[in-house]
Amino acid sequence: MVKGLLFIVVKEVKELVRDPKILLGMIIVPLIMFPLMGFAVQTSMETAEVSIGRISMAVIDLDNGPFAEGLMNFLKALNITLVEVDDLNFTEAVNYAQQADLTGLLVIPSGFSANLTGGVKADLDIYTVFRGKGIGEATSSSAVTTLLKTFEGSLVSQTIGEKIPEEDPTIVLDPIHMAERSIFQGKSVDVPADALFGLMMSQSVGMPVGMMMLLIFAMQMAATSIASEKEEKTLETLLTLPLNRFTILIGKMTGSIIVAVVGAVSYLIGFGYYMGAFTGSIPVESGVDLAAIGLAPTPVSYFLLGTSLFVSMLSALALAISVSVFAEDVRGAQALVGPLSTLLIFPMIFMMFTDLNALPFPLRIVLYAIPFTHPMLTSKLTFTGDYLTAIIGIVYVSIFTLTVLYIASRLFGTEKILTAKLTLQKLRIGKNK
Amino acid sequence: MSFVVEAEGLVKDFGGVRALDGLSFQVKRGEVYGLIGPNGAGKTTALRIIATLLQPTAGSVKVLGRDVVDEAAEVRRRISYLPEEAGAYKNLSGYEYLEFMAKFIAEDEEGVRAAVDAAAEISGLGERLRDKLKTYSKGMKRRVLVARVLMTKPQLGVLDEPTGGLDVLHSMHVRGILQRYVAEHGVTVLLSSHNMLEVEYLCDRVALINRGTIVAEGSPRELMEDMQASNLEEVFARVVGCG
Repeated sequence: MVKGLLFIVVKEVKELVRDPKILLGMIIVPLIMFPLMGFAVQTSMETAEVSIGRISMAVIDLDNGPFAEGLMNFLKALNITLVEVDDLNFTEAVNYAQQADLTGLLVIPSGFSANLTGGVKADLDIYTVFRGKGIGEATSSSAVTTLLKTFEGSLVSQTIGEKIPEEDPTIVLDPIHMAERSIFQGKSVDVPADALFGLMMSQSVGMPVGMMMLLIFAMQMAATSIASEKEEKTLETLLTLPLNRFTILIGKMTGSIIVAVVGAVSYLIGFGYYMGAFTGSIPVESGVDLAAIGLAPTPVSYFLLGTSLFVSMLSALALAISVSVFAEDVRGAQALVGPLSTLLIFPMIFMMFTDLNALPFPLRIVLYAIPFTHPMLTSKLTFTGDYLTAIIGIVYVSIFTLTVLYIASRLFGTEKILTAKLTLQKLRIGKNK
Repeated sequence: MSFVVEAEGLVKDFGGVRALDGLSFQVKRGEVYGLIGPNGAGKTTALRIIATLLQPTAGSVKVLGRDVVDEAAEVRRRISYLPEEAGAYKNLSGYEYLEFMAKFIAEDEEGVRAAVDAAAEISGLGERLRDKLKTYSKGMKRRVLVARVLMTKPQLGVLDEPTGGLDVLHSMHVRGILQRYVAEHGVTVLLSSHNMLEVEYLCDRVALINRGTIVAEGSPRELMEDMQASNLEEVFARVVGCG
């Protein structure tokens, strides 16, 4: 049996991987498409960053006082190009800023320095030229505002220093030091709650999405594997070989799992590159040691998660095979298997955004009844150490898997695998009568 | 006399449709036995039952003394089946396909190699066997499939329309290899065909089936003599009521 199983698995993998639709659609495209999308996003972001370094402003200085000069020197020191256009009126200055492709126009009104010295609120007018060039333009505009705020901050510190020399301006401005910590599983953890929440979210989003991709790929593989045998008229020959039908079934499932894992891995690698484009430029502040605070999975939790995922995958494959038996060709099988993906997407959405225990009881029962909820749930439970619930889930999914596997093997072991379509046609004719 | 196939009172219903209605026949060792009949007569259903794909509603079939229902695994070890319009794994090369099939029958690597070599010779496709099957014409694919049936020298070859849809040259090749292989290796063949010329050329005995039951049986010569017909087509037309 083992030899026969190996032959079937090797054949299945060869057939599936060499199928251009699968090779391109599920393996190569994710590896190329997502990094390309990531490259596009990263390039745009880098361009936006570069454009911040190229901020150039036209300046109408109607004040000519020491604070106006100080402001311009401050901006020049930060590599902002300033073009003084005091001899132009406002309309001419606006036209100039537009034609010279400047970021905008800064108008320092008359009395700016006098107001600041006299303790009166001083006005400063900033105009950004809107060209509709995308995120880079918005970033440049907000960068100018941020720089001016920094200048304002230094003015405040300077004023405090002058008026209350015995006080430290930084303490006056920011008198309270807040140390944010969290309490996790009865222990104080030296991590702010929002950082911890962010980490948990990355786990509870990443895991369900990854699992959903893997299971959907596996179901599609299995359905394709059976339906293509029917479509290519090879199934009858295969079924007359001196080989146990259950071996054929398991061989097909194993081949589907292998190709689905390859597909899901390439998808996740590609998706990882894509997401890296967004997160690559964001500095990681927390540096939280998950293991130190008891949030890292242990070998036991890895084992439970792997087991839960494996039995769920078997049930997904058995379901897909049972359904695809009724299809005439690959397209028909994929159409039949398509609705089954709802069983994956439905729990995934709940897992991503909420705690199951917070849901109404009937909805909770529905979600617990869906076998694919359990590996996603296990991925959360293993972080919190609730192994018992994870084990109960595995037992439930195993029973479900065995039941579906039995149905699949019954369909595979009898003439139903060849005649199921005939029955459906007959039913359809019967209805038309 | 020992029979390779013994079908007794075969009945097969698909819902309310009776495809076989008490079909009985025997195939002797080493002979080529043909099932002929109009479309829907039950030929393919009979062959599928013998190949263990379908189960009879009533009656029994024994292949080399083994019941096709109760001892299906044993029957599969002794037969090689070519379905009508059979396909092959399009993303495998001819050699890979033959090797894959041979592995289930041959006992060791040497046996696999011998079977694949035999299939390469039978198919006569030479270097084209290195190409993927999706690049083959229908005729080439059929030659590979017939070679697959014969390469392991099965005790019974079950061929449903072995030359169906093929052009004259490919049909002649397939008929040639069937006739030669049967003569050389003593393989018993049960086939169905719509081509009366082919049946006359290949078959030692023929059963004419109509509406799921045998209406005439004998060697092509006997049937022609009995019906005072000059060829099997005339016999066929008279027996099924069109002549």
